[in-house]
Order: sequence, then structure tokens, then C-alpha cells
Amino acid sequence: MTETPQETPDRHTVLASAGFGAVMLVAAVLVIVDAVRLPETGAAVGPAAVPLPVGVLLGVVGAALLVQARTQLATARSAAVQPKAGLRVLGMVAAVVAFALLLPVLGYVVTSTGLFVAAAMLLGAPSLWRSVAYGWALAAIVFLVFDRLIGLSLPSGPWGF
Amino acid sequence: MDSFGLLLDGFAAAVTPEHLLWALIGVTIGTAVGVLPGVGPALTVALLLPITFRLTPENALIMFAGIYYGGMYGGSTTAILLNTPGESASMITTLEGNKMARAGRAAAALATAALGSFVAATIGTVALTFVAPLVADFATSFGPPEYVALMAVAFVTVSALLGRSLLKGVASLLVGITIGLIGIDSQTGQPRLTFGIDSLLDGIDVVIVVIALFALSEAFGHLMTGTGGTTVQPLRERAVMSRSDLRRSWPAWLRGTAFGFPIGALPAGGAEVPTFLSYATERKLSKHPEEFGHGAIEGVAGPEAANNAAAAGVLVPLLTIGLPTSATAAVILTAFQSYGLQPGPQLFSESGPLVWTLIASLYIGNIMLLVLNLPLAKVWARLLTIPAYGIYAGVLVFATLGTFAAGGTTVDLLILLGLGLLGLLMRQGGIPVAPAVVGLILGPLAEQQLRRALTLSEGDPSILLSSGITIVLWIAVALALIASVTLPLLRRRSRSTTNHEG
Repeated sequence: MTETPQETPDRHTVLASAGFGAVMLVAAVLVIVDAVRLPETGAAVGPAAVPLPVGVLLGVVGAALLVQARTQLATARSAAVQPKAGLRVLGMVAAVVAFALLLPVLGYVVTSTGLFVAAAMLLGAPSLWRSVAYGWALAAIVFLVFDRLIGLSLPSGPWGF
Repeated sequence: MDSFGLLLDGFAAAVTPEHLLWALIGVTIGTAVGVLPGVGPALTVALLLPITFRLTPENALIMFAGIYYGGMYGGSTTAILLNTPGESASMITTLEGNKMARAGRAAAALATAALGSFVAATIGTVALTFVAPLVADFATSFGPPEYVALMAVAFVTVSALLGRSLLKGVASLLVGITIGLIGIDSQTGQPRLTFGIDSLLDGIDVVIVVIALFALSEAFGHLMTGTGGTTVQPLRERAVMSRSDLRRSWPAWLRGTAFGFPIGALPAGGAEVPTFLSYATERKLSKHPEEFGHGAIEGVAGPEAANNAAAAGVLVPLLTIGLPTSATAAVILTAFQSYGLQPGPQLFSESGPLVWTLIASLYIGNIMLLVLNLPLAKVWARLLTIPAYGIYAGVLVFATLGTFAAGGTTVDLLILLGLGLLGLLMRQGGIPVAPAVVGLILGPLAEQQLRRALTLSEGDPSILLSSGITIVLWIAVALALIASVTLPLLRRRSRSTTNHEG
């Protein structure tokens, strides 16, 4: 009963795990190349002493994840993923980038409200105007507490908040 | 007796209105984030770290400790009413707790969880009060080789325990250690893994990594899987227990505490293992074994006590050796460092008043939590009716606020997004993110101690096995590795044989 459904992973999980293994292999190469180029120092243990074994382990474990995924793929169940999931993740990334660019221009409250509304709509909020109201209230409270009360200075935009 | 006097001084310092206010804020935030699924104490402390840098160390640490304890209380509410652990250590509570709620006994389940948490956390804090100074005394004799061995124990157990598979745990740990390597090497001044990017010279801020791995990846993950329908069990009456509930609960609380504190206090640590052990024990000892799986109150009381006692236990290696064994403890370690304090044996001698004020505030926070959780259980249950889009959009607002406060350049933001996507990949692949956080924070400390040890011995690695303590610890590392590889194999084999027979 306490058993988690780990024995037959779904296809999606297996592929993501393989993807992570691939990322680790790339990281292994970067870490090792970077460590080799570090100059020798007079000390008994130089700056490359730890990165080298870490790089090798990254490679070994990354490869092991790939091998594990290869064997599991044969028995993997097919998985239910939401349609347009990738597009919505991209939308969220774009919202965060827009937030960073607009924050100094439009001030904290307006930009954060925008971010809240964008995220809420992407996550399936039923009502746009209700999201705007919630987002505005949250951003205003955060601004009051952290800018006015605690003294963390947040960008204020042309209208002072 | 000595600790007792110091503790009294701590109480005298902790009951000032200012400190009480921060303790109350901490436990309230902690309970709230414990209740909300997808937001945990580790993320909350990380988010508040850059935002609260204007507070004094006492106020900030009292608040963080409150969040840490509060998260453990809040997690059980979610487990019982929503059948989702609000916190990883309340996974077991869902088994019996949600069954009780479905049978209309939500109030009794919440009451035994809150009272059990209170009893366990109080006993755990008492144990912390008396054990911590002893461990700190003992740890003053530790040199770099002992620290290297201790950290190796923590690395192995964290990657084996904080996930389902050792391989995936190690993968996560290694990625964390690698991120920790980025920046100027503190001992030789050489830039490592910076690829000529100036803003990487100082390394990647821990806050940004924690926000990316916990908050962004959680929000992204929710975009992928969408909102599955969840059923919140209604809570009709106030959280109270009948006399027979109490009679069945209290032995389970004490047994849970007996598992939780010692296991939490080991450098291997973690709050999950004692909850499993407590559940198994209650099931074996119960006079009503037929109720297990259908809402046995012992199955809530024991594990809930175990996870709170373990939470107190985890503070022992954190404060006395500077060794974090959970993601939250790792982030709290960073909070200490950001105030220029290094947890370890010296902390007790150099910042004694601060430590004792902190420990005293744990007792106070615990009483506040009991008051907050028993009569106000209904209020917290209402938090569960906040729709998922609201929670995750709010998390995103706080995530960007934390990143902005932590430095907030465009490069930071790109790193945040990149790591958020990496975290999404990990979540999708079933790779736990907590070992990465521990690796990120413990990795640089381990490297420093390792190089210190090898410099002492002029490069001779035998110094790592130079004392009795180190040999015992390395044997523990080997045993933990062997156990985590062979146990799943044995379990699988026994299952496949029973399958063949059946």
C-alpha cells in the first residue's frame, strides 16, 4: 500500500530522465574541460582537485541515467500530458522576461499584477477580471509590507508605486 | 544544569515584544506555507532571505525557525484534508489521515496531529537543549578529516533518502555540487566554470537556485500536468478528540518522538525515515490492526509526532557541526552565513546568547503553533479552497520578488529561468530536487575541508582515515551505499518470487 508506482514508469518520465542524463553528460564535458585548463598552483591540492572527479562522476551518473532510461523505455506506459503544455511553459517564460524588462519602467505594483494575471490565465483561471483584482491586491500588499514597512526599495515607476 | 541557566537567559531575551512578534509572524507564515501544496518551508525561507536582510540576525533567525516548525504543523492539515502531503515528511500522514477525514473524523485526525506535533516538538526541543551543547563540545575536537567524513555521510544518505532511487538522488546531488563550483575558487582565486561571464564570478546566488528549483519548476510543472480535480474533505466541527482517541494517541506520540529525534539528530538525518518506521511500528503494536488502511488514529499520531521530533533533531547537526541534512536546514544554514555566522562548535561559544534565544523561541513558537492550529484549524482548512492557479501565480510573484531582492540583474533572471527549466526536467523525470539544494550548500564547505585536510598532509590522502571517528564514519558511508543498492534489489526479488507463486 505504501508502494509508489515506481516499477512501471511512464514514457514521459523515462524521456525526461534521459534528457536530464544528457544534460549531465554535457555538463561533465564542460566541467572537465574547464578543470583541465586551470593552471597548476604550488599548493598540494589545486583548484582542479575537486572539479575533475565531480566531472567524471557527472559523466558516469549521466550515462547510467541514459542506460536506465533505454531499458525502461521498452516497458513504459504511455502518459497523459496536457495538450499545448510546451506552449504554455514558453508563455510563462515570456511573461517572466517581460516582467524583468518592464519592472524598472512601470513600477512594481503594475508589473507584478501583470505577471500574476499572465500566470493565472496560463494556469487556467476562469475569470480575467477576478485575476486582475487578486493580482493587484497581492502586489499592493507586497509593496506596502516590503517597501514601506521593511524598507526594501522596490521600483516605483512614474506613479510612485 | 549549565545549559539550563543559559536557556533561562535565552528565554529572558526571547520574550521581548519584538522577538515574540517575529516568532508569531514566523509560525503563522510557516503554517500557511505548510498547508499550501507546492510551497514548502525551504522555498519560503529562501524567498524571505534577501527580503529580510534589514532585520537583525535574532529577529530573522527566530522567524525562520518559526517557519521551519510551522511548516511541519501545516503539512499535516493538507495531508489529512486533501490527501496530498503539504510537506514531504507528512507523506505517511495521508495514509490514515485522509481515510479518517473521509469517514467524517477529520477533526479528530487534525487534533491528534496538532497535539502530537506539540508533544513531539516540545520533547524534541528539550532534547536539543541538552544534547546540542554536548555534541558541540565533542565537535570542537573535529579537524578537517572528520568534517570530510561527516559530509560524505550526509551526501550519501541525503541522495539515498530524499528520493526514490539512489541513482536519481546522486544525479541531483552532483548537479547541485556542480552549480556550487561556479565562481572564483576561494583558496586560489582562480575562476571556475565562469566561461568569461563576469556576473558568474561571484557564483550563483543560493536564493536564485532554490527559487528556480522549488518555485519555478513547480509552477512550470503545473502548466504541464494541468489541474487535476482534488477533493477537500470538509471540516465540520472544532478539532477535538474523544477520551478513547486520546488514550490511543499518546503512546503513539511518544513512540513517534522516540524514532524521530535520534534519527533526525544523526548526521544522516531526514524526517521521512522516522515517519515510515513509526507507521510500521504502530501498525504492528495496534490493538485494532484491522483499522489500518481505513483510518486508524495511531497511524496519524505516530508519524506526525515522528516528523516534528525529527525536525527538532535535524537542528542538532545543523547548529553544532554546521551540517544540514534537509533542504530547509540547508537554506537556514545559508541564512546564518548571510549574517556572517558559521554554525558549528564555535557558534555556541562565540554567539551563545543568539543560539539560546533561538532555542528558547522554539519553545515559545511551539506553544503559539498549538494555539494557532487547534482552535483555528478551520481557518487553515479554508486555505485549501484557494484554486491552484492563484497559489502558483502568487508563488511566481514572490519568486520574482526574491530574485529581484537577491541581486536581480538580467543575467540573474536568465539563470533563474534556465535553472527553472532544469528543475522542470528533473520533476518530470522523477529526480528529487532536495539533494541538489543540499549539494549546492554543502559542496563548497566539503571542498574547503577536503583541501584543508590534504594541505595539512601535503597531499597524502591517508589523513582522511587518520582517526577512529573518521574510520567509523567512512564505514557508515560504505554501509549506506551497499544498503541503498542491495535493499531495492532484494525487495524486487522477493516480490517477483511471490508473484510467481501467486
